[in-house]
Formats: sequence, C-alpha cells, structure tokens
Amino acid sequence: MVLPAIWLGKLLSILLRLAGRNATSLPGKMALRLSPKLLSVLGAKLDRCVVVTGTNGKTTTSSLLAGILNADEPIIHNREGANLPQGLTTAVLQHTTWFGTLRRKTALFEIDEATLPLVTRHLPVKVLVVTNVFRDQLDRYGELDTTVTKLLEGIRQTDAVLVVNGDDPLAKHIALHSGLRYRTYGLSTHHAEITHHDQMRDGAFCMQCGHELTYSGFFYGQLGLYHCPECGFSRTTPDFAGTYNGHTIAIDEDELPQVEFVLPSRGLYNVYNTLAAISAARLCGMNANGIAVGLAAYEAPLGRMQGFQTTPPSTLNLIKNPTGCDTVLQAILSEPGQKAVCIAINDLAADGKDVSWLWDAGFEQLTQSPDIRVCITTGLRAEDMALRLKYAGYPTDKILTAADLDAGLQLAFEQAESLGELDLYVLSTYTALYPTAAWLEKKVTLDAKTPLYRTSVS
Amino acid sequence: MQRPLCIAHLYPDLLNLYADKGNIQTLVSRCQWRGIDVEVVSVPAGTTPRLSDYDLVLLGGGSDREQALVGRTLLSSQPEWKAAVEDGLPLLAICGGYQLLGEYYQLPNKAKVPGLSLLDLITEAGEPRLIGNVAISSEECGMIIGFENHGGRTTHSHDVLGRVKKGFGNNGTDGGEGVRYKNVFGTYIHGPLLPKNPALADLVLKTALEHASGNTVELEPLDDRFETAARKAFLERRIQLPEESVPAAQA
Ligand SMILES: [Zn+2]
Repeated sequence: MVLPAIWLGKLLSILLRLAGRNATSLPGKMALRLSPKLLSVLGAKLDRCVVVTGTNGKTTTSSLLAGILNADEPIIHNREGANLPQGLTTAVLQHTTWFGTLRRKTALFEIDEATLPLVTRHLPVKVLVVTNVFRDQLDRYGELDTTVTKLLEGIRQTDAVLVVNGDDPLAKHIALHSGLRYRTYGLSTHHAEITHHDQMRDGAFCMQCGHELTYSGFFYGQLGLYHCPECGFSRTTPDFAGTYNGHTIAIDEDELPQVEFVLPSRGLYNVYNTLAAISAARLCGMNANGIAVGLAAYEAPLGRMQGFQTTPPSTLNLIKNPTGCDTVLQAILSEPGQKAVCIAINDLAADGKDVSWLWDAGFEQLTQSPDIRVCITTGLRAEDMALRLKYAGYPTDKILTAADLDAGLQLAFEQAESLGELDLYVLSTYTALYPTAAWLEKKVTLDAKTPLYRTSVS
Repeated sequence: MQRPLCIAHLYPDLLNLYADKGNIQTLVSRCQWRGIDVEVVSVPAGTTPRLSDYDLVLLGGGSDREQALVGRTLLSSQPEWKAAVEDGLPLLAICGGYQLLGEYYQLPNKAKVPGLSLLDLITEAGEPRLIGNVAISSEECGMIIGFENHGGRTTHSHDVLGRVKKGFGNNGTDGGEGVRYKNVFGTYIHGPLLPKNPALADLVLKTALEHASGNTVELEPLDDRFETAARKAFLERRIQLPEESVPAAQA
C-alpha cells in the first residue's frame, strides 16, 4: 500500500517546514524508501505531464513555463532545481490529499538527464523539452555520449511530442533518433555571428556519422547554423523562430502572424529559455494572451542574477559547468560600474566532485575587464579557485581566500565596502547556493535595521 | 637566436574532455614567468602531426567514440611516432591519450581498438568506472594529486609514474599509476593535472627544454604560494595525507 508512504512524506514536509528547513527532496526520498512504487502510482493519477530536460536552462525554462501554465490552471511543479526522483515525488506529495487523491492534474517537471530514464515510464508525458546538451558534471554521467544515450532512453519511454533546440546539433540528433514527433525552436538566422572565438568541443562532430560539422554562423557554444558535409545532417528552419530586439522577442510559428512578447529577463541565454517556454506552451494549447500573462508573472529563480538589497547591493548566480559559467560571467561584465566578485566552489556530490571544469570556464574574462577590482574565493575548493584565477592572469594581490563560507562572504562585503561601495557579484556552486542565499537574506534584514551612521560628504 | 619552445596540443577539437586547457596554460605560464619563449601549436583533427617540429606533445582524453577517431588518424603515422619516442620525444599523455600509447583498448564486447603501440601497454574496459580523488607518490616529483575517471584498466611492463596513496590508479589492483618511459609521461590523473602539481609541470618542462637544446637545464624556482596552498588544502580535506618531501633534484 502506498498510503503509509504518502502519510510519511506529508508528515515530513510539515515537520521540515516547521523546523524552517527546505523540504524539496527529503520527504519524497523517505516516502520512496517506504514504497518504491509511489511515483508510478501517483504519476498514473495525473492527466498530463510536461517535462523539461537538457544541460543548461532547465530551471529558468521550466519556471517560465510554469508561470504560463499556471495562468491557465494550477499545476504541480518541482521548484528550485529539485530534479531527482525524490524531488519529483516531494512536489507531487504537496498536492496529494491524505487519502491519496491528487488536487492538481497537470505536472511540470524539470528532470535531470541521468534521472530521465528512471522516471518517464511512470508519467503521462505529453510534451518534452530538450533545451541543449552541453558538457556537464562529467563525474556523474561518465561522458557526453552517455548523456545523449540516457536522454534518448528516457525519451523513448514516452509518446510525447518533443520540443527541441534546433540550433543545437546534439538536441537535433536526439529528436531525429527518438522515433517521436518533434518541433524545433531556434533563433532567426540574422542573429548568427560569422566568427566564433571559443574552442568548440561538444557536438562539433556529427553524431550521425562522426564527420566534423561545418558552421555558416554561430549563436553560442555549439549552437549555430550547422551542416554535416558528409551525411547532410543540418540545422533546418525552426518551427518556432525567435527574433529578439532589446526587451522583446517576436515569434514566427508556421504561417501564423508574428507575435511579440516582452522578454522577462536579459541575456542571450534567457532568450533561448523564453523561446523554449513559449514553444512548449504553444504545444500545450496556450494562446498568445495566456503566454504574455504568464511571462509577466515570472520571478527570477534562486541563483539566476538574483538581486539582494544588501549594503552594498549583491547579486547571486549559480555556476555548475563551463558554458553556464561563461554566460554568468558575461552577464556580470555587461552590468555597468566597478565590481567585487566572490566565487564559492564546493566539491560535494551535487556540485560534481571533479573541479576540472573550472579550467574550461573562461575566468580570463575577469582579467580582461577593467571593472573587477577584487576577487574573493571561498568554499571547500577555495584554494583551487584562487589558483585558477592566478593562471587566468588575474593579479594575485587582488585574490583573497577564505575557505569558510561565512568568513568568505564577510570578507567579500568588507572588500566591496572599503573599495567604495562596489556592487558585489557572488558566484556559487550548488551546495553553497542555499547557505549563501540565506546569509545574504540575513544581511538584507540586518542592513535594513542598522542605520548608516556615515558622515555625509555631500 | 633561439627558437621558442614548441608545445604541440594534439587534436584539441576531439581530445579536450578533461581541461587540457589548464595543463597547457600551466606550461605556458611557467615558461613566461621565467622569460622562456614558448609557443603552442594546435594540431586539429585530420592533420598529420609533424613530430620533428615539436619539443613536447600533449595528448589528452576524449570519449570512446572520439578516441577511436583519433586512433585511426594516428595509426597511419605509427612508425614515425615509434621512432620519435625512442629518440626521446617528450610526450605527456592523459586519460584517453594515455590509453592510446598502448597496443589496444579492449571494449566491453571484447573488440580491440588498436592503439599506437608505442609502449608495452594494454587497456581493457571494466566496470565500474574508477572515479574519485587520487594521490600518488612519485620518486621524481613527490606527491601527484588530482582526479581520476576511467572505465579502462591499464597494465604495462614499464616504470609507473607513481605508487597509489589514495584512489585506484592504472587498474585498481596493482597499486601503480601512470607510466614513465624515456621522456614519456602517461597518467589517468586530471583535475587538471599540472596546475596543482608544479613539480611535475616543471619536470615536464625541463625534459622538453633539455630535449630541445641537448643541454642540461636548471629551472629558476617560482613563487608557488597559491599552488602550495591548493595542494595543502586538497591533501588535508580530500586525501587526509601529509605532503611528501620533493626530491632534492627538483627542490
Ligand atoms: Zn554527418
């Protein structure tokens, strides 16, 4: 019987919340231990399930999509990146009654690539989004080929309609090999740049035949106008083509009139996330009006350029792989003014125990910018990060290290303040993210209470 | 007039899975800090390397599929490779690159992907993958630390790079890690390998400079405070072993 497991999970959620703890995965974990079939039993009670997977942009895309779908009917959604089976189960339990019936019938799940094959057969997946496939957390998945295999395995257990990033040769490859119906989204070709300075690796070779891909234009990473001269595998005109212009994105879908939406957050990266969410929402039957309302309701999730009204002001960003980290660095450097940077690196299981990826991320950007006045490194791998900055050519006398997270954040604020109230940008791996966010929240409260007894110089 | 030290990075477009960028950056920076002229030549896939032009060759790791592609390319120039290595060409081979030095890599289905046969070395696929932090003790440069992640079990008849203090090493059973033969350095350790192992980085550089000039080279010591701090933190938090004294020749 699954009822005892449901009760256990619900009780734990209540207790954890009373204790002021985060209840995003432990209740599901314990409930699954009591009844391993729980997710499939609850999954069978859903009317439909929408899944977002891929390497980068899962959390943002699914949050955007949740806003849109919620505007139509209340949905179940695993928030805050809790994308393993226990996280999904916890999310469903929140909307399960003590008698085991579901109060909500549509679920939107962000699911980890490695988790996908374990859970899709238990869920009535109707729409499945693949955002992209980048190099990520190699020590958990082995290698890139394994990631593609896992994705395909998970996808083939469904009869969903796929929504894939057609600008990514790896995502396109997955669509072609899924045996399912698929729709692509992508940027309009005039956004492509002719030259590409980064060393491209992932997917630079045709997954169909092994030949090197040629590009007539690039968006970012391996995303671009690719073509295989050997077997003809190529990027095709997207079913949902996005044209962005400052704060708006215009969507061309088939022969329908072009529709324009306000972009809910900045950066090329988020243009793709918005495009993915809009495309998936269309396949879920949402109209332009509903999509616009949903996008407007969007709030940036934890660790995506998340602002804190500290003194001086601070911004928190999650980093977990080279491509994502480069995008975060670009976003930070595109903000005006001089800055202090604090980088928190942990190497626990959820972060990836292998910190090699730090050396593939372009921290040289910090060296090249005249605006980065100081870098503080902290976390269990603070010293590795400091060494990385040294070899990135960042001046060693401006690199300060405090492995203890509290001490590191304290030091970062002292530096930012003493250098003239500089904006502080905190970059953090997964397991340091919650403690950092909590620390910053506390500082917001303290700073608000403490009057600033500073002599005015004006 | 001396020509710059020439480091060849082989097939960066295929074999760049484990932060080779970090290894190259380390070699280049440690030359530049000493005023030694250095250049890095990227040899893209499909190009035949011109071994006589290089003072040091770096062969990284890729996925099985990519490695098979590289193996096929390299095999056509096997005799040149063999001659160059016997002649003392400095070669740093990591992960997949390390496996390529041997006779073959045997896949789980028992099929053998041929290697360059430069060493008396074979690798067989195994389960589970050997993954985790690793520390080995090397006679030439003290403790070498990093991360390993390989399915292959390697055995060979040459000297090892070091003895395993923590982790799995070549095959998880015989306590050896990596290979040393003439001027060849092979290892499963990345993380990346060289930034946190400055003694090894300098040994590789010294080998390359001596091969290039034909003379004995003594490298100027550098300010390695960041390196030392990173090693100390890693050894304390992740290995729970003290630093080993670096042999006098390298100190
Ligand atoms: Zn092809």
